[in-house]
Amino acid sequence: MRGGRLFIALMLAPELVVLALFYAYPVFQNLAISFTDLYLLRLKTGGNWIGLDNYRELFHSPEFGHVLFNTVVWLTIVSVVLRLLMGLGMALLLDSSVLKRLRLATAAKLAILVPWATPPIVAVVVWRWMLDAQNGIINAVLVKLGIVDNPVAFFADLRTVWPSVVTVIVWNTVPLIALSLLASLQSIPEELNEAAALDGASRWQQFRHITLPFLMPTITVLSLMSVFWTFNNFVYVWLSTGAGPGTFTNVLATEIYIKAFVDFRLGYSSAVGIVMALVMAAFGIVYYRFVATRELGESL
Amino acid sequence: MSKWMLRVAAAIFGMVAAFAPALAQQTVNLTFRFNDTEEKEMRAALDQFEKQNPGIKVTLQRIGWRDARDQFLREAAVGQGPDVVHVAQVWVKEMGQAGALQPLNDLIKQAPLTNGFSDFMAQELAQNKEGRIYGLPWTTDTWAMVYRTDLLKEAGVTKLPETWAELHDVSAQVKQRTGKTGFGFPAGGSASGAIWFLANCYWWSNGKAMVVQKPDGTYGMNLTTADVVDSMRYVKSFLTEGHNPTSNLSASDAHDPSILQALVNGQQAIATMPPNTYKQVLEMYATANPGKPVPFVSGPFPKGTVTRTSMIGGRMLGINANSKHPAEAWKLIRFLASEPIFTQYYTTQFPAQRSLLKNVNWSPELKGFAEQLGYARTWGPYSDGPAPIGAMWNATGRAFSAALSGQRREQDAAEELLQAVDKLMKTRSQ
Repeated sequence: MRGGRLFIALMLAPELVVLALFYAYPVFQNLAISFTDLYLLRLKTGGNWIGLDNYRELFHSPEFGHVLFNTVVWLTIVSVVLRLLMGLGMALLLDSSVLKRLRLATAAKLAILVPWATPPIVAVVVWRWMLDAQNGIINAVLVKLGIVDNPVAFFADLRTVWPSVVTVIVWNTVPLIALSLLASLQSIPEELNEAAALDGASRWQQFRHITLPFLMPTITVLSLMSVFWTFNNFVYVWLSTGAGPGTFTNVLATEIYIKAFVDFRLGYSSAVGIVMALVMAAFGIVYYRFVATRELGESL
Repeated sequence: MSKWMLRVAAAIFGMVAAFAPALAQQTVNLTFRFNDTEEKEMRAALDQFEKQNPGIKVTLQRIGWRDARDQFLREAAVGQGPDVVHVAQVWVKEMGQAGALQPLNDLIKQAPLTNGFSDFMAQELAQNKEGRIYGLPWTTDTWAMVYRTDLLKEAGVTKLPETWAELHDVSAQVKQRTGKTGFGFPAGGSASGAIWFLANCYWWSNGKAMVVQKPDGTYGMNLTTADVVDSMRYVKSFLTEGHNPTSNLSASDAHDPSILQALVNGQQAIATMPPNTYKQVLEMYATANPGKPVPFVSGPFPKGTVTRTSMIGGRMLGINANSKHPAEAWKLIRFLASEPIFTQYYTTQFPAQRSLLKNVNWSPELKGFAEQLGYARTWGPYSDGPAPIGAMWNATGRAFSAALSGQRREQDAAEELLQAVDKLMKTRSQ
C-alpha cells in the first residue's frame, strides 16, 4: 500500500513541480512584490518592504471605486450578459429550420467565424475607423439618414464611450458563445420537442422547459469562462480608449499597466494585481458554490 | 562507418573547433534599437556603416516610442537589451541612474567627437551632477505652429496670430467663415499625449511651470490651481465652441491620422507639431497634389503674458550597460551623429550639434521652426527634479482629458493634478 502511494507521488511529482514553477512561483513573487515599493528604475537594487502601504493607498484612492465599478459593471457584467444573450439568439437562429430551408445555415456558420478569427487588435482598429467622427462609415450613415446632426465622437464622448467599447468586445467574442451553444442545441433529442408539441406546448414553452434546461450546463461554463476572460482583459479598453477620456474607462487591468509602466510603481501595481486575483477567486468560489454545483452537480 | 570517414569527420571537427573562436571574434554583432518610422532609411545608413567597418554587423530593431522606455528598462535590469538605444532626451539621466545605460566619458576620451561634446545641445540632460555622461544628444527639435494659408485667406485672416487670445480668435474666425476646423489639436489623455506640450508651453509663456528649481537647490511647483484651471478653460474653449472637433478628445498624438488627413485635405487650418510630423504633412500634400504649391507655413508659438516659448526636444543615443562591445557601439554612435546621416538618411530630423545645425537649409515652410528654436527652452528642472517626467506627463494628460471631456470640473481636475504631482515630488524626494 505504502509502495503504491510512493509510486503515485513519484508519478505526480513532475507535474507538481511544473505547476509550482509556472503558477505558484509567479503568484507568490507577485504577492511579495506587492509588499514593497519596487520601482522600475530601481529594478536592479530591488524594493524596500513597506508592508500593507500599497493596499492602504489602493483602498483609500478615490479612483479605486470608479475603476472597480468600470471593471465589474461595464467591462464584465454588461459585456458578458450581452454576449450570452446575443450568443443564444444567434445559436437559435443558426439552428432554426428557416436558415436550413433557405440553405443559408452553412454560410451563416462560416460568416460567424469571421469576427472570432479576427485578432482583438484588428477588431479594435477596424471599429475605431468605422466609428471615427471624421471618416467613419457609421457616422456617415447616421448623418445621411438624419439620425444625428453632427458626427458623434463615439470613443471620446462620455455618453457613448462605454457602449462603443462593449460593442467591440461583444462583436469579437460572441461567435464562440454562439457556436458553443449551437453544439449543445444540436445535441437535444428531437423527440422531446416533438412530444411536447403533440401535448400542445407552445414554442416558448418548449424553449423554456426543454431547450433552456439542456443548455444550462453549457451556459454555466461559458459564463464562468467569459467572466474570467473579460474581467482580466486589458486589450480592448487600452487599445480603444487608452482608459480615457480622462480616466473614464479605466479598469483594473489598465490601472495595473499605468501604474507599472507609466508611473513605474511595480509594487503598487502588483498590489492591484493581487486584489484583482482575489476578486476573481471570490467570484469563482461563490459561482462554484451557488451556481455551478446546481447546474453541473453530477460532473463536478 | 568506415575508418576514413571517421578520420575526415574528426579532421573537420578539429578545424572548426580550432578556427571557430577566431572567426567569431572577427565579426562583432551589434543591435541598434530605433524608435522612429524611418526604418528603411536607417537600414541604408547602417549598411553604409557596415561597409566602412567590415568587422561589425548591426541588427536594426524597431519599437514604438510608447513602449521604448519601459521595455528597455525591463531588459537592462536582467542583463538583456540592445547594444545601442534610441531614447528621448529626458529619459537619459534616469536610465543612467537606474544602471541601464553606461557612462560614455571614457569612450569620449578614447575616441573624441569631431567638435567635442560641448558642440551638442541639451548636454545638461545627458549628464548627472557628478559629470557622468549617459547619452549623446542625437537630434533636436521643437514644436511650432503650422498654418494652412489657403484656409486662413478664405477666412479673411491676414496675419498669423501673435498671442494665445489671437490664436483663439483666428481659430473661431476660420470655423465661422469656412466651416472648417480652426486649431485642431489632439486633446486625448494618453500617457504620452500631446496636450502635455501644449499645457506646458501655455504655462511657460505666462511665467509659470510645473517644476522649478528653488534658490536653495530644491524643487517645487510654480503653478496654482487657478493657473491650471485657466489653461484648461482656454484649451476647452476650442472644443466647446466647435473650432476643434470633439473627436480629437480621442486623439493623443500630433501625428494622429485624423489630424494629418484634415490638414492635407484642407479640413483644418491650424495645428501644432514637431518638424518631422510637419515634413510628413508636406510630403502627403505633395503626393496628393503633384505640382501644386504647398499651402502651408509654420510660425512660432503664441505669446503669453511673459514670453513665447516651447520645449527643446529631441533624441539621444546611449549604450546599454550590458553591452559586451562598448567600443564598437560607440563607433556606431559617432557614425550616426555624423553629418551625412542627416543630409542623406535621417532627413526628417535636425542634428543636435550646433556646428551641423548651422548648416541646415531651412525651407520657407520650415522657417517658423527655425524661429521657434530661438525661443525654446529645455525641460531642465523637470528632468533634474524628483518626480519622473513620465508620471507627471500621464497625470497632466489624464487631468486635462477629464476636464475637457466633462468627466471632472476644471477646478477638481486641476486640484487633483497638483495633488498628484506634489505627491510624486514628495515620494521621490524621500
